[in-house]
Amino acid sequence: MTMFDVWVQGSRALAVGWTLVHSLWEGAVVAVLLGVVLGVARSARVRYWAACFAMIALLAGFGATFYQVMPRETGIAPKAPIPSAPVALSPDDGPIGITRTPWDFSDLLPWLAPAWMAGVLLFQLRCLASWIAAGRLRRRGVCGVSVAWIERLDALRARLRMTRPVILLESCFLDVPVVIGHLRPVILVPVGLLAGLPAAQIESILLHELAHIRRADYLVNLMQTLVEGLLFYHPAVWWISSVMRAERENCCDDLAVAASGDAHEYATALAALAENRWAMPGAALAATGGNLVKRIRRVLAQPEGPRAAMAPALSAGVLLVTCAVALAAWQTPQQSGPAIVPVIPVAQAPALEPAPQEKPAPVAEPRPPDQSRVPDSKRQTEALEKLREALQKVKRGEPALLAQNERTQTADPIPAPYRAWLNEEAVYIITQAERTAFLQLKTDDERAMFINQFWARRDPMHPTPRGEYPVIAKGDPENEYKKEHYRRIKYANDRFTTKIPGWKTDRGRIYIEYGPPDEIESHPSGGKYTPEGGGTVDTFPFEQWRYRWIEGIGQNVILEFVDTTRSGEYRLTMDPHEKDIPPAKQEEASLGGRLPMKVGVSYVTVGPSAVLTRITVQFDTKDLRFEDKDNISTAIVAIYGRISTLARRPLSPFEDVVTVRHGSADLPSFIAANPSRIYEKSLPLAPGSYRLNIAGKDLGSKSSGTHEIIFEVPQPAAQDAMFSSAGPGEKAVVVVGADKKVRITLPIDYDATKLSAIVTSAGGKMISRVGMPLPDPCQDRPQDSGCHSNYTRTLWEGGQPFRAGYYNLTAVVTDSSTWTEKTYVVNFSVH
Amino acid sequence: MENLPRPTDAELEILTVLWSRGPATVRDVHETIASRRPTQYTTVLKQLQVMAEKGLVMRDEDQRAHVYEAARPREWTQKQLAGDMLQRAFNGSAKSLMMGALASRKASKQELAELRALLDEYERKSR
Repeated sequence: MTMFDVWVQGSRALAVGWTLVHSLWEGAVVAVLLGVVLGVARSARVRYWAACFAMIALLAGFGATFYQVMPRETGIAPKAPIPSAPVALSPDDGPIGITRTPWDFSDLLPWLAPAWMAGVLLFQLRCLASWIAAGRLRRRGVCGVSVAWIERLDALRARLRMTRPVILLESCFLDVPVVIGHLRPVILVPVGLLAGLPAAQIESILLHELAHIRRADYLVNLMQTLVEGLLFYHPAVWWISSVMRAERENCCDDLAVAASGDAHEYATALAALAENRWAMPGAALAATGGNLVKRIRRVLAQPEGPRAAMAPALSAGVLLVTCAVALAAWQTPQQSGPAIVPVIPVAQAPALEPAPQEKPAPVAEPRPPDQSRVPDSKRQTEALEKLREALQKVKRGEPALLAQNERTQTADPIPAPYRAWLNEEAVYIITQAERTAFLQLKTDDERAMFINQFWARRDPMHPTPRGEYPVIAKGDPENEYKKEHYRRIKYANDRFTTKIPGWKTDRGRIYIEYGPPDEIESHPSGGKYTPEGGGTVDTFPFEQWRYRWIEGIGQNVILEFVDTTRSGEYRLTMDPHEKDIPPAKQEEASLGGRLPMKVGVSYVTVGPSAVLTRITVQFDTKDLRFEDKDNISTAIVAIYGRISTLARRPLSPFEDVVTVRHGSADLPSFIAANPSRIYEKSLPLAPGSYRLNIAGKDLGSKSSGTHEIIFEVPQPAAQDAMFSSAGPGEKAVVVVGADKKVRITLPIDYDATKLSAIVTSAGGKMISRVGMPLPDPCQDRPQDSGCHSNYTRTLWEGGQPFRAGYYNLTAVVTDSSTWTEKTYVVNFSVH
Repeated sequence: MENLPRPTDAELEILTVLWSRGPATVRDVHETIASRRPTQYTTVLKQLQVMAEKGLVMRDEDQRAHVYEAARPREWTQKQLAGDMLQRAFNGSAKSLMMGALASRKASKQELAELRALLDEYERKSR
C-alpha cells in the first residue's frame, strides 16, 4: 500500500469528502436566500453587504461542517469536541455516512479530498501569481503625473474625507484606470488618459478609484479571491462573487456621483473610457454583455446620488435568517428524521418573523435628504449672497488699509522687508488688530519676533488659545500653515501674473485666502451659453471656481472671474451677465464666413511594414480671397490639423501655411482653370483607428472651416511596394561619401518649402529623421522664370556615420505651389 | 519594424514619460522621473542615447536642445510586449485583483453604440 492509498482512505480524507458534499447543498441554500434578498433590496450598498455576508456564511458553513464531521471520525469521544453544536445528536450517532449511505458514490468519496486539494492548490497559486503580477504592474512601465494632477487628487481626496495618502501614476500597460494595493494604494491610469479626456471627467473617474480605496475594496477582493479558490467547485461561490464585484462597482459609482454631483459627466467619462479602450489593439474581444450599459443606465437614473436605501434592518433580518439557516442546516442530512424537525423551525421562527414586520419600515421613515451633498438652490443663493457681501466688504476695505499704511510709512518708516511682509505677503490674512499692533512696533527685533509669533499662532499643530501669549512652536519646525500660505502666493504669482503681480489679482487674492478651489471650469477663449430666455450668448474668457465650503460664507460657492479686456487679467464679478459680450462686439468676434472644404484620407505602403497616411484637404479656389501686391495675387490659408485617438487623446498635430500665387492680370481665368486647390500631408501612423480634426482659415477673408473625420489605418500591404509620387525625370540621388556620411540631392523649385526625410534600415528600424525648411532657390531671380535647382543635404549631421548595411530613405518635399507633397523613395547601401 | 528590441524596465519608464508628455528634452524626462525616485541627469541622458541607437526613440536634432520622441506609439509597444507570453500571463492574472472603473473585459462595438445613444437621449431630456 502506498502512502497515497493510506492517505486517501484515511478518516480525514473522508471527512473532507463529506464536507464537500454537504457544502454543495449548503451553498445552494445560501444562494437561494441571497437571491431573495437581491430580489427585494435595491440599494447597491445593501446588496453588496448581503453578498459579502452570504460569502462569509458559505465559508463558515464549510468550516463548521468540517469541524462537525472530523472529531467523530477520530472516534475518541463523539460528543465532547462539539460544544458549539447545540443541536441534539441523533440517537444512532455512530460513524456517520460511511456505514449508513448505500450509494455507490461512497466509494468515490475518499477521492474527492485529493482532487479538491489539488484544485485549491492551483487556485491559490493563481492568486499568488496575481498578487505578484499586480505588485509588478505598479513598478514597471509607470511614470509620475504632473504636480497639477497631484494637487487635484489631493482635493478629491479631501472631498471624500480620506486621510491616507494615495499615489497617482501613469502606466503604459493598462488601458483602463485601476487601483492596486491596500496599505500603500496606487491609482494607475493609462498613459495619455489625463491629457486625453476633459478634466472634469477624469476627476469623476478618479473619484471612483478613490472610492475603491476608501472602501478597502482591494483587501476585500483579495480575501474574496482566496475564498473563491477554497470553494472553487461550487457554482454558488462564483455567482456570489460576481454579485459582489458588480455591486462593488455600483457602490463606487454612487460615491463618485455623489461626490462629483454630476451623473451625466460621470457616465460620459465611463463611455469615453470604454471607447478609448476599443481603439487599443491587444486583448481579444469578449462577447456582448450588458454590464457597462446597465451601470450607466443606473448612474443616469439617479443623478441625485444614492437613492434612499432600504431599511438596513430588513436586510439584516433576512441575512440573519440566511446565517441561521446555513448554520443550523448543515447538520440536517446527518441527522435522522426526528432531529430535523426541531432544528429548522427553531432557527427560522424568531428570525423570519420580524422580517415581514420590518418590510414597511422604509415607507414609514424615509431617509432624510442628504443636505451636505445636495444643497438646494435657496441655500446656495444665500451662500452666494453672503460671499458677495463679504468680498465687497474686503474690496471696500482695501483702499482704506493701504491709505493707512502710507500714512504710517511717512510717520515712522518701516524697513522694506517688513513693509513687504505686511503689505504683500500677509496682507490678506493679517487681522486688523494684528496690523495695528505691528505698526506700533519700534525695532526690527520686535518685528521679527512678531512675525514668528504670527505664524506660530496659525500653525495647525500648535493651537494657541486666542488672547494668550503665543508660544513659538517647539519640536515641529514645519509650519504647515506658513508653508501653504507661501505656496499659494507662489502659485498665484506663477499663474495669474499679467501686468500686475499675481498675488494682487482677484484670482490670486481668492486663491491665497481660500486655497485651491475644488473645481475650476475654465473658458480661456470665451464660450457660449444658453440663458433662461433661450438663444445663445457669447462670452468673454471666463473662469468659474467652485468651492464646496468656505468658512463663514457657506457651501458650494461658485465664483466667476471674467476677462473683459482679453488681457489675461480676470476680475471677480458679482453679476453673472458680466461675461456676456454685448451684441455689437459679438459681430466682431464672429466676423468671417465659412470656408468650405473637403477632407480625404488615403494610405500608401512605403516599405515592408510602414504605411503613410495621406491626408488631403481640398478648397475651392473661388472661396479664397486673393490680395494684390506687386501684380501678384496671393491667397494664404492656414491649416491646423490634429490627429487623436477616438477618445481624443492627441497624437500628432501639424500646422502649415499654404500660399496660392498668381499674376493679378488673369486671375479670373486662373480660378476658372483651377477650380480647386489641394493640400496634402503625409504622416506615418501605426495601424488602428484615429480621429482627424482639420481647421482651415483663409487669412485674407478671415473665413474658416473645420472638419472632423474618423479613419482607420490598415495593415501594410503584403507586397514590397515601392512608391514614389515624383514624376518621371525627377529623381532623388543619394551619395554615400568616403566618410560614410549620406548626402541626398533633390530637385526643388521656388514653391518647395519643406523637406522631411526618414531613413530606415532594411529591417525597418528607424535610423534618422530630419525635418527642415528648404531655402528659396529663387532669391536672386524673379519667380516667374521658373527657377529650379538641386538641393543637397547631409543627413544625420552631428551624429555617428552610418554603419554598413542596407537602408531605405523616404524623403517628402512639401510644395506650397501645388499644395502637394512629393515623395521620393531611394534604397542605398553603405559598405 | 518588427525587430525593434524589447525595451528594458528602465527604458520602458522613459518611454512611458515620452508617451505621456509627448516629445521632450532630456531635462523634461529627467525632471519627471526624478519626481518619483532619485536619478541622475546623466543617467537619463545616456539611456536616451542608447535608446536612440536601438531605434526605440527618435532624436530631433534641429533644435539646440535635442528633442526625443518615442519611435513607436504606445499601442504598438504594448502589442509587442503582449507577445511576451510571460508578460501576458502576468498582466492577465493581475486583472482579477485590480479594482477599476471598468471591468477587465472590453465593451463591444454594439455596446458602445448603445452607450452613446443612452447619453444622447439623457442630454436631450435634460435640456
